[in-house]
Amino acid sequence: MMKRCVWVVLAAILLATPAWARTLVVAQDATWPPMEFMNEQKEIIGFDTDYVRAVAKEAGFDVVFKNVAWDGIFAGLDAGQYDAVCSSVTITDERKKAMDFGIPYFKVRQALVVSKDSTVKTLEELKGKTVGGQIGTTGYFAIKKTEGITAKSYDEIGLAMEDLFSGRIDGVVCDDPTAAQYALQKADYAARLKIAAVLDTGDEYYGIAVKKGNKEVLDLINKGIEAVQAKGIDKELRAKWIGQ
Amino acid sequence: MEKKTIDVSDGAAIPRKKDAGLFSAWRISFAGALIILLCLVVFEPDPYLKILKFLPDGILITFEVTIFAIIFAVLLGLLTGLGRISKNPFINAVASTYVEVVRGIPLLVQLFYIYYALGRFVRLPDMVAAIIAMSLCYGAYMGEVFRAGIESIDKGQMEAARSLGFNRTQTMFYVILPQAWRTILPPVGNEFIALLKDTSLVSILAVADMLRRGREFASETFTYFETYTVIALVYLLITLLLSKMVSILEEKLNYYDQS
Amino acid sequence: MTSPEPIITIENVNKYFGQLKALSEVSLQVRPGEKVVIIGPSGSGKSTLLRTINRLEEIDSGRIIVDGLDVMDDKNDINRIRMEVGMVFQRFNLFPHKTVLGNLTLAPMKLRKIERAAAEANGRRLLQKVGIEEKAAVYPARLSGGQQQRVAIARALAMNPKIMLFDEPTSALDPEMIGEVLDVMVNLAREGMTMVVVTHEMGFAREVADMVVFMDQGQILETGPPEHFFQDCRHPRARKFLSQIL
Ligand SMILES: Nc1ncnc2c1ncn2[C@@H]1O[C@H](COP(=O)(O)OP(=O)(O)O)[C@@H](O)[C@H]1O
Ligand SMILES: [Mg+2]
Repeated sequence: MMKRCVWVVLAAILLATPAWARTLVVAQDATWPPMEFMNEQKEIIGFDTDYVRAVAKEAGFDVVFKNVAWDGIFAGLDAGQYDAVCSSVTITDERKKAMDFGIPYFKVRQALVVSKDSTVKTLEELKGKTVGGQIGTTGYFAIKKTEGITAKSYDEIGLAMEDLFSGRIDGVVCDDPTAAQYALQKADYAARLKIAAVLDTGDEYYGIAVKKGNKEVLDLINKGIEAVQAKGIDKELRAKWIGQ
Repeated sequence: MEKKTIDVSDGAAIPRKKDAGLFSAWRISFAGALIILLCLVVFEPDPYLKILKFLPDGILITFEVTIFAIIFAVLLGLLTGLGRISKNPFINAVASTYVEVVRGIPLLVQLFYIYYALGRFVRLPDMVAAIIAMSLCYGAYMGEVFRAGIESIDKGQMEAARSLGFNRTQTMFYVILPQAWRTILPPVGNEFIALLKDTSLVSILAVADMLRRGREFASETFTYFETYTVIALVYLLITLLLSKMVSILEEKLNYYDQS
Repeated sequence: MTSPEPIITIENVNKYFGQLKALSEVSLQVRPGEKVVIIGPSGSGKSTLLRTINRLEEIDSGRIIVDGLDVMDDKNDINRIRMEVGMVFQRFNLFPHKTVLGNLTLAPMKLRKIERAAAEANGRRLLQKVGIEEKAAVYPARLSGGQQQRVAIARALAMNPKIMLFDEPTSALDPEMIGEVLDVMVNLAREGMTMVVVTHEMGFAREVADMVVFMDQGQILETGPPEHFFQDCRHPRARKFLSQIL
């Protein structure tokens, strides 16, 4: 009797889920609005989160999100703690050596945020000053590359913005959607901060990162991305989270 | 009055005389850490030498925070310890409340609080905030050590000094504290070492200490294993050196013991 | 030998430790140069009485005048009064972190503002007087009990006090060391020091005391010169006590 019950339940589970469906765990550092951040219900939301869901739907897999601090996020990927990272990861040559990327899905540039009363127009003008960025991001690398600027690395971009807000540093460099979020959207920050410039470091593309050599997951993700792009879902999401 | 024992906190083991010898734990750890680090750097300069070269300014910051925090924490601890045994109820209450409050709040939270929460009112530079938070936290711990150390001195010492005409303050500085140091130093030494290790928490304030430098390096090059190995070894070496210094100092303070 | 003005006046002193009455209507006068020996069973209040003289114990009522100053009056700096009243404890209480000489020079240098050289010269003179000048550079932990107690006496004398208080100075000593300490005290008595001594050494009392005070249960029961005490003391409790220790 007992045995038959178990069989019935198992059969039901097998029938209810398509045989090919699998669950991918995707890591995000939910401190990067509007791309990925926490809402008041402690859920991760944002462009990337919706994007991964759309990709999953198109490619036919289930997805679970995991919130991971940025400066360990690639170590976890390498250690197999999750299948992919979709967290505003700019595709760089350095990173391509350490992991594989899916089809680029989003274009950004680096933006410099400063205090509203500042007259600075370029990063170079901040020579001798301190500029902050999130540790291990292309924004922070850009600051470090600029001669004469003291680069200060933060665990989260929000903490850098807070220091800029309270006047302890003179600028923050990060991806333009996030810069816009702080300098234009968040009421108290927007009153004091502005985007001074978009850096001439060129266009950057976000990619979904998987462990080096994990072709199976990469193919799955790319299949989803192609479908999402073909159907124009990415444009809808952009309108929803970024505006213009 | 019998001698009171003082609780030992989570510092590192301070080498004692009985541990001396070629195979003491201290020697094994120190030599081991040094040899491993040297081998890594010599045989695998990429990335180990690169990592080591990336750290020095961070190590300097770690030392700076440690030294300033130790100085202020000792002063604060002394004041707190004296306050805790003060006959003046107001001073006593202030000191005791300080100890209770600080001991009840995790250091990490104190760091965040002083830097980010109070940052909206007083804009302290990151180093200053870090040193203040570390000093406040360890001042409270050390206050308890000082109090216990002072109370461990025989009441007869106080009476002898008072009967000669020393007032309470003079008695404290000429008679009680010079003796209390001996009892106080081992646990205070442990606090020094715990403090040094806890300075790694200040990297959370974006202070570019050794740990943050390491994290920056690792997050750019993805050499997590290599970087954190070096960081751990360097911390271990520094901590062992500090504990050696404390034990030498202890020896020195035992000059008047029974032969 | 006695002058009319007492240097210590104790008047109707009462002292409680919680419920316990440690001193009860105690009155006593000591004139300059006088040697007073206090005897009595353990717990009778001898130490307490001695310690009220330099205000190591507070009193609940009564008056204590030392060298013309009311000890309990906060207008008088108690530390200045104590500088004139040396005290020797049962358990020596030498400063273990100071050498023997350092024990003798600390208070004179810090409190009397005497130059180190002068303080050390005086310290060596006193060490010579108590017979252990060769131990000047040694730390107290290396000394025998008798030597430590002689250093303690020298330390008190280094402040050049007008009065010396002794609280059972030989009780913690091995028997063979008692003599050396008593010798020092006898010499001090001969030099004319005002001394109040709590002791059970009746030989010492007989030899130097001008007055013997018998205490029991916080009260002074009998006072008189030593001859009187040892021959015809009236109080039965005093007689019983004497019969036990003699
Ligand atoms: N600090 C104190 N607190 C409470 N009771 C005390 C204290 N000192 C002494 N006593 C009590 O007071 C009484 C007298 O003590 P003490 O003067 O030391 O006696 P003696 O010196 O004659 O042996 C004793 O009963 C003793 O227990
Ligand atoms: Mg006694």
